[in-house]
Amino acid sequence: MYIIGENIHIISEKVKEALANRDREFFMDLAVRQVEAGAKAIDINLGPRKKDWAEVFPWIVETIETVVDVPLSIDTTNVDGMEAALKKITKAQPILNSTSAEPERLEKVPLLAKKYNAKLIALTMRSEGIPVEADARVNIAIETLIPRMMEIDLPMENLIIDPLVLTVSGCQQYCPHLIEAVRTLQYAWDPAPMISVGLSNVSNAVPNENRPLINRVYLAMLMGVGLQMMIANPFDEKQNDVIRWIETKDTSNPLAAVYNKIAERICAGEEPQMEDFDLSDPEQSAIWKTTQILLNKVIYADSYLMN
Amino acid sequence: MPIEIPKDKWPGSIRTVTIGATSADGGTRSKTVTLGGYTTLPFMHFEAPMSNPPVIAIEIKSRKPDDWSPLLFEAWGDVMNDPAQWAKKAEETGADLLVLALTVEDSVEDAVKAVKSVLSASGLPLIVWGPGQAEKDNELLVPIAEATKGERLVLGICEDKNYRTIVATAMANGHLVQARTPMDVNLSKQLNILISDMGMPKDRILMDPTTGALGYGIEYGYSVMERLRLAALQGDAMTQSPMIVTPGFEAWKTKEAKVGEGVPEAWGDWKARAINWETLTAMALIESGADVVVLRHPESVRRVREAIGELVMA
Repeated sequence: MYIIGENIHIISEKVKEALANRDREFFMDLAVRQVEAGAKAIDINLGPRKKDWAEVFPWIVETIETVVDVPLSIDTTNVDGMEAALKKITKAQPILNSTSAEPERLEKVPLLAKKYNAKLIALTMRSEGIPVEADARVNIAIETLIPRMMEIDLPMENLIIDPLVLTVSGCQQYCPHLIEAVRTLQYAWDPAPMISVGLSNVSNAVPNENRPLINRVYLAMLMGVGLQMMIANPFDEKQNDVIRWIETKDTSNPLAAVYNKIAERICAGEEPQMEDFDLSDPEQSAIWKTTQILLNKVIYADSYLMN
Repeated sequence: MPIEIPKDKWPGSIRTVTIGATSADGGTRSKTVTLGGYTTLPFMHFEAPMSNPPVIAIEIKSRKPDDWSPLLFEAWGDVMNDPAQWAKKAEETGADLLVLALTVEDSVEDAVKAVKSVLSASGLPLIVWGPGQAEKDNELLVPIAEATKGERLVLGICEDKNYRTIVATAMANGHLVQARTPMDVNLSKQLNILISDMGMPKDRILMDPTTGALGYGIEYGYSVMERLRLAALQGDAMTQSPMIVTPGFEAWKTKEAKVGEGVPEAWGDWKARAINWETLTAMALIESGADVVVLRHPESVRRVREAIGELVMA
């Protein structure tokens, strides 16, 4: 699993404060720790920085490249900020996060990727919004995103398609479709485009205590359909366990076996079955309930585990 | 040519809930109302019988409201000044049960007195709503629940921000609760879980998913109801409560129903339009799974009653 570490994100109060103080040590430490925890790239989301982008984007790139050699993912809607960051990159091939199928972004951002030889994350989203159906998202990739890359000769190996994870709390019907979109996108083109998702979006607006469980179960499902790249929290040890168990087909303990079984079922186009779980074990029972909300079988509620 | 109608067999059922208690069960009601108990979408008689078809509640208030449409004043007349008389008239009008809505002006004494006078004037099962302000609701509903112990009233309205006190007093005094959430399946289920988790028996909870009126977001409302109902029939225990909705309140808020002046002539006759608005709002909700519709105008009650009758026979 190629993890793009998500922890340098302006939504975090600590990041906000550190940025206000231009605290180099904070960002260097957070970058180093993410790489040590297994992140293969570092996402940098400091927002659009409408006023100070010309200073902030080069500053953060320089700061982080001081301590790590991995690719940086420039995560912003500010195209000028993206370019300011790209000009400063001296190490690994960067990632632009992101374009969508909205005309204005699709016009500008791929050209930047081309000019600076960056990888490019492209979201299956049009101006009208995100379609629910898996097929509609795949069609955006085939009919709009990929043709645009071909038009400007962006090498296909630089394209990463993100079919957009949405939260189970409020967009529940999207969750099973996203799984199918990940499955199908791998056959959408030859060579197959890379696919990445923002995993933790699945638990946005979910009470904090349930978020990691929902992320893990969804991850097992997505690994079942072949997901190999995601923007995620590399410090989540239980999540890293799930990745390792599924990648190595390790079924040596009951939880490992359960997560592998989920991945297997989803891989085969089946649904996890109650008998796959030892429901007398509270942890497995919680995992079973989580599969049911993620597959939109049972309506989500914040206290769904009490149901 | 014979046509085979495809039938669904649902694993889940809508929970049976009884409102009101007769003297045999520790109350004073002359009749009770039973909801739910069926295993099909509304009026799909070919799949399964709809054991308890939807019922009609008429909304009355503890004081004559000053913000209701003149058409409603015209319909009810002087009885609006006295909840007991209003209740009696509503029963004669054909209500299956009554809603008594309290107001912020009511003191505890006023409120308890209003509830008791309604219970004396009419033998119908009763739903009591607080004025809709958390503190005031709790202040009024607790003494009412205690003063009417065993009547199996429905107390409302429980919402996400304020349900504990109402649920506790309903549990202690043998009443039911109405659980309201703002047009959202997740929140609706969540509130049911929270109320059940307090120990409230599930057969004493009504879900109020809120709906909007015809032309004012009703499609969101009935989509939520449909989704809750499908989940219930698929076996999700936390969505299986019968649903109560308030098309009277929703419809009479709209300009089309409320106002007769300063509107386009093409809108036609005011009274006809207003009653159509309430009736059509109610019927759309009944078709999407409402078990109790709370109405305001006597003519709407008559029409909805007739329509339910036809749907039951169809």
